[in-house]
Amino acid sequence: MHHAFKLGDNEHNLELSRSASAYRLHLGEQVVDVDLKTGADGRAWLTLGERHIEVVIATRGDDVFVHLDGEAYQLRYQHPLDRLAAQAGGSAEDNIRAPMPGSIVAVQVKAGDTVTKGQTLLVMESMKMETTIAAPRDGTVAAVTYEKGQTFDRDALLLSLEPNK
Amino acid sequence: MKRIESKLNTASAGFQANAAHNRKLAEEFKEKQRAVRHDRPQRDIDRLRQQNKLLVRERIKLLLDPGTPFLEFSSLAANEAYDGEVPGAACVTGIGIVSGREVVINAGDASVKGGAWYPLTVKKTVRALDIAIENRLPVVHLCDSAGGFLPLQADLFADKYMAGRIFRNQCMLSKMGIQQVSVVLGHCTAGGAYVPGLSDYNVIVRGTGAIFLAGPPLVKAATGEEVSVDDLGGCDMHTSVSGTADYPASSEEEAIAIARDIVAQFKRPQKAHTEWQAPEEPHYDPSELYGVLPQDIKQGFDMHEIIARIVDGSRFHEYQPNYGKTLICGYAHIWGYKVGILANNGVLFNDSSLKGAHFIELCNQARTPIVFLQNITGFMVGKEYERRGITKDGAKMIMAVSNCEVPKFTVMCHGSFGAGNYGMSGRAFDSRFTFSWPQSQISVMGAEQAANTLADVKIRQLARTGKKLSQEEIDAIRDPVLGEFKRKQSAYWSTSEIWDDGIIDPADTRNALGISLSAALNTPIGEPRYGVFRM
Amino acid sequence: MTQTLPDTSKWPFQSVLVANRGEIAVRVLRTVQKLGLKGIVVYHAADRGTAAVKMADQAIEITGSTPVASYLDGAQIIAAAKASGAGAIHPGYGFLSENKGFCAAVEAAGIRFIGPTPEQIDLMGDKVRARNFVEKAGFPVAPSAIEDDDPQTFVERSRKVGAPLLIKPSAGGGGKGMRIVRDLAILEQEIERGRSEGQRYFGDGRLYCERYIENPRHIEVQVLGDGQGSVVHVFERECSVQRRFQKIVEETPSPALDAALREKICETAAGIARSLNYRNAGTVEFIFGQGGEFYFLEMNTRLQVEHPVTEEITGIDLVLQQLRVAAGEKLGYGQADVKSSGHSIEFRIYAEDAARGYTPTTGPILVLHPPQGEGVRWDSGVLQGGEVTSAFDPMIAKLIIRGKDRTEAIARADKALRETVLLGCKTNTAFLRRLLQHPAFVAGDVHTGFLDANPQIAAEPEMPAETLQALLGAAALSTRPMRDVADAVPDMHAAMGGWRN
Repeated sequence: MHHAFKLGDNEHNLELSRSASAYRLHLGEQVVDVDLKTGADGRAWLTLGERHIEVVIATRGDDVFVHLDGEAYQLRYQHPLDRLAAQAGGSAEDNIRAPMPGSIVAVQVKAGDTVTKGQTLLVMESMKMETTIAAPRDGTVAAVTYEKGQTFDRDALLLSLEPNK
Repeated sequence: MKRIESKLNTASAGFQANAAHNRKLAEEFKEKQRAVRHDRPQRDIDRLRQQNKLLVRERIKLLLDPGTPFLEFSSLAANEAYDGEVPGAACVTGIGIVSGREVVINAGDASVKGGAWYPLTVKKTVRALDIAIENRLPVVHLCDSAGGFLPLQADLFADKYMAGRIFRNQCMLSKMGIQQVSVVLGHCTAGGAYVPGLSDYNVIVRGTGAIFLAGPPLVKAATGEEVSVDDLGGCDMHTSVSGTADYPASSEEEAIAIARDIVAQFKRPQKAHTEWQAPEEPHYDPSELYGVLPQDIKQGFDMHEIIARIVDGSRFHEYQPNYGKTLICGYAHIWGYKVGILANNGVLFNDSSLKGAHFIELCNQARTPIVFLQNITGFMVGKEYERRGITKDGAKMIMAVSNCEVPKFTVMCHGSFGAGNYGMSGRAFDSRFTFSWPQSQISVMGAEQAANTLADVKIRQLARTGKKLSQEEIDAIRDPVLGEFKRKQSAYWSTSEIWDDGIIDPADTRNALGISLSAALNTPIGEPRYGVFRM
Repeated sequence: MTQTLPDTSKWPFQSVLVANRGEIAVRVLRTVQKLGLKGIVVYHAADRGTAAVKMADQAIEITGSTPVASYLDGAQIIAAAKASGAGAIHPGYGFLSENKGFCAAVEAAGIRFIGPTPEQIDLMGDKVRARNFVEKAGFPVAPSAIEDDDPQTFVERSRKVGAPLLIKPSAGGGGKGMRIVRDLAILEQEIERGRSEGQRYFGDGRLYCERYIENPRHIEVQVLGDGQGSVVHVFERECSVQRRFQKIVEETPSPALDAALREKICETAAGIARSLNYRNAGTVEFIFGQGGEFYFLEMNTRLQVEHPVTEEITGIDLVLQQLRVAAGEKLGYGQADVKSSGHSIEFRIYAEDAARGYTPTTGPILVLHPPQGEGVRWDSGVLQGGEVTSAFDPMIAKLIIRGKDRTEAIARADKALRETVLLGCKTNTAFLRRLLQHPAFVAGDVHTGFLDANPQIAAEPEMPAETLQALLGAAALSTRPMRDVADAVPDMHAAMGGWRN
């Protein structure tokens, strides 16, 4: 199970294989026949075992957006090499990402600075509220992505720390 | 191509009894496989887990493309050797699909004696690399071995087909332009170090993977130098200092993912051109093979019924249907691949031998791979047949088989006795792949005949000294011979000794042959050329 | 009321500049262009390529330190209007729509301001003055008592406010020292405790109290005045479903009103507008108690976001009415001519994550299939290929549903929300469906604190296993690296699947 999608806060491992006529989806020990017939404007028919489901799909980079049964969902593909390398690096803590879209109010550190856990790194503003981004651990700042006044989307990489040795 | 008309009544008591018997044999075989694959002392598993290591089959699962087949070779190798303590000969080999490419996988099994190389481990590994060479398949080595098993070093080190042959084969592969990846998941010490050393790409796991000619204790003994495993041959040293390994990985899963990405860069081979058509399932259910096979090795059966349960649509073009009928020859498709089939339907006579030799030449001329389905008690003996030249007619068949340019595949369906084994492309005749069915037997002659022959020799020796043996005394000579013969002519002995590429469930034959055929076509098929046929 | 289009040839303006963006700019331009007038729009670079800019007869780029600042830059907008020869400016809602200075500057520049007089904006823009004006005119405002007015009679005056009431420290804020009194018998003791808390928190013991409305509804009334003596109401809108103090679903008629109460509240609103000699479309907002009592809250002197529901049940184009009175026309009809039929509900489609406290989301509009069908109206300023950014309010569109009654409207809304396809940016459509399926909403039994009291509606429901399976299947088949791995497998091996020997 090398491949994964992030859906909300959950990561789902899966594999895709080809069958004689279409594809198979592998989820743990479960294997389901799947196929997707794409039409115009993102509309598509998804076959899942015995079920046939109308969906609308759009992709952008590693994001897959699916409209299914009246609801829209966003899944983010995790390439095995990225995912496993990140797991091994052991820390999501190395990369500090935006909890919501907003703009930078203040940048209090620069690349190369040594920081201690809990130290304020950035102040961001979103929805007219200021949020302080603090160091998740002791370390050294590897890079600061945004300058004061710049805006960013959710999950944007705001700042990274040097990997822990 | 018309369908074979089965003449069997699958509802008959005889068929049902056969089916029950052979299904039971297949289940026993599967149970042996299960035990060999998974039964390990808990402490060995715990030890690997503590080292953050995956078990060899978990590694292979991660390496293979999901939902693709894996043709494992010699799953029961060494099963009758070393008191059964080295299941599978401490390694797993086979053909699988990695990043869409057919590759040979050569994986050490560290849960067996730390993955130590026993003589049969070496034999199985060399055979896997021979398969890679013969079929031009890239190799992924999953390295995790404690090194040669020292108490048996005399049986695994020095001879032509022993340990050195592994490295020689790696070099041959490289020379042929066939790529190899080593994933260093444990220590590769001494000879083992050359597996990555001779590979094109190496991935090494930080913390557990190491490559060195001598480990820290030996270094200390030799030179007094004290050095840690990591400093001596660890991941970071080799990937950043020595250049012995190429890609560092922080976990086994990552290392295997990198290896998959490496294989994805390999050029796909141009397959040899042979006839192919869209595959079709056999019309007759392959699981009916259990009912076709008799319960007694001496009992005959119609090989057409076997062919009908292996080939596409059960369709078969029979060549010379009325001549030399004890050898069935003809064309069929397996998984779409056109093949010529030679199947025994009795003793090989002069006519059947000549028919076989002729058909092999036809197949070579048309570049049609050949499948041999063995159930042979030998060439016919006796004054009349010798006068008709049974020896030279058999020799013609052996000459044709030996000089075959098309790939050959042999299935030991039932009996394989005497020189018939040669005529039907036995192990010595370089079939690309050889598989055995669980109830099949192989020996120079039948066990009964052999035991009786040996007993007769003894009786005649004693008769010369004037002694006459009682029946009990005769039995005392005969029975141990019979027992030993029976043990060593069983498929389980054969496969333990790696006289084949593994026992397979008869119902799996079609898939095993399909994968073998596909692999074999990576090698171009040459112009047919033969030695001198004794006319 | 059937509307015939007016003859605009005599109007003092032949072109209208829309000083706004997004869906409201589109909405205004639609009527402007329908009348044969020239529609001009100003836009910030962030809005280039939006529907309003595309449909306008002329689009003029404006700049600013931030996108929002450019739309608040009155001088620049007036300059743009002059440059384009615009005869009138429609401010939409928000931005400069209730800015007295802007209104005055527009008029001073010789351009018609499509809205009320600056004085009306000024009066209604000041909460205290507006409240006093309304009270003096004889309309209901929430009863209250201020200690400072006459400390001696504070307790007595408080008692007159009636229970339940709320005691607040005069110097207070943030809810500290506030006490709800439901039983007037303990009023004095609560006043004393409130005073000591005020003293402790703020060093100031002075208090005031006002009527406490439990679980209030927000009901507002649309009014239209021509500034020439005519005022009508165009019925009420119920806007009680709110999140983070913002309306999210609005409907008309209000399920809380019977005919008599509707008449009463609508006439009250019309009376307030009349006493102002109001010009323009406007909205009088009331706080409405569970007992049927209602009090003036404020008056918005502009077009409201939720104006379409009124249009849907009356057939009146409110933007057209704004333009007509701004052009100097009289309403030309009386209250009796304003009739309604059916039920209409508006759902605000927001780029937001309801489950994460309604935090805004951003992203590209990769696919947009607006819903269609009987009784479905889609007012939107975004197009497929556009982008939702954090530069502006996260409202993407308004889905307005009309049905012969509330039940039909709800059913049509559920279907329309289900069929709304918007990919690339998380929206609240699924949340809105959960909301409209909630028994309390179905029963029309909601209040302004309803969503806070029912946080489970906003929470992401647990995903059924088969939905997850379908999503992963669709995603896997839409992801090249996964498809490539599968497609690379030779046919025969693919057909064999995970065979083992």
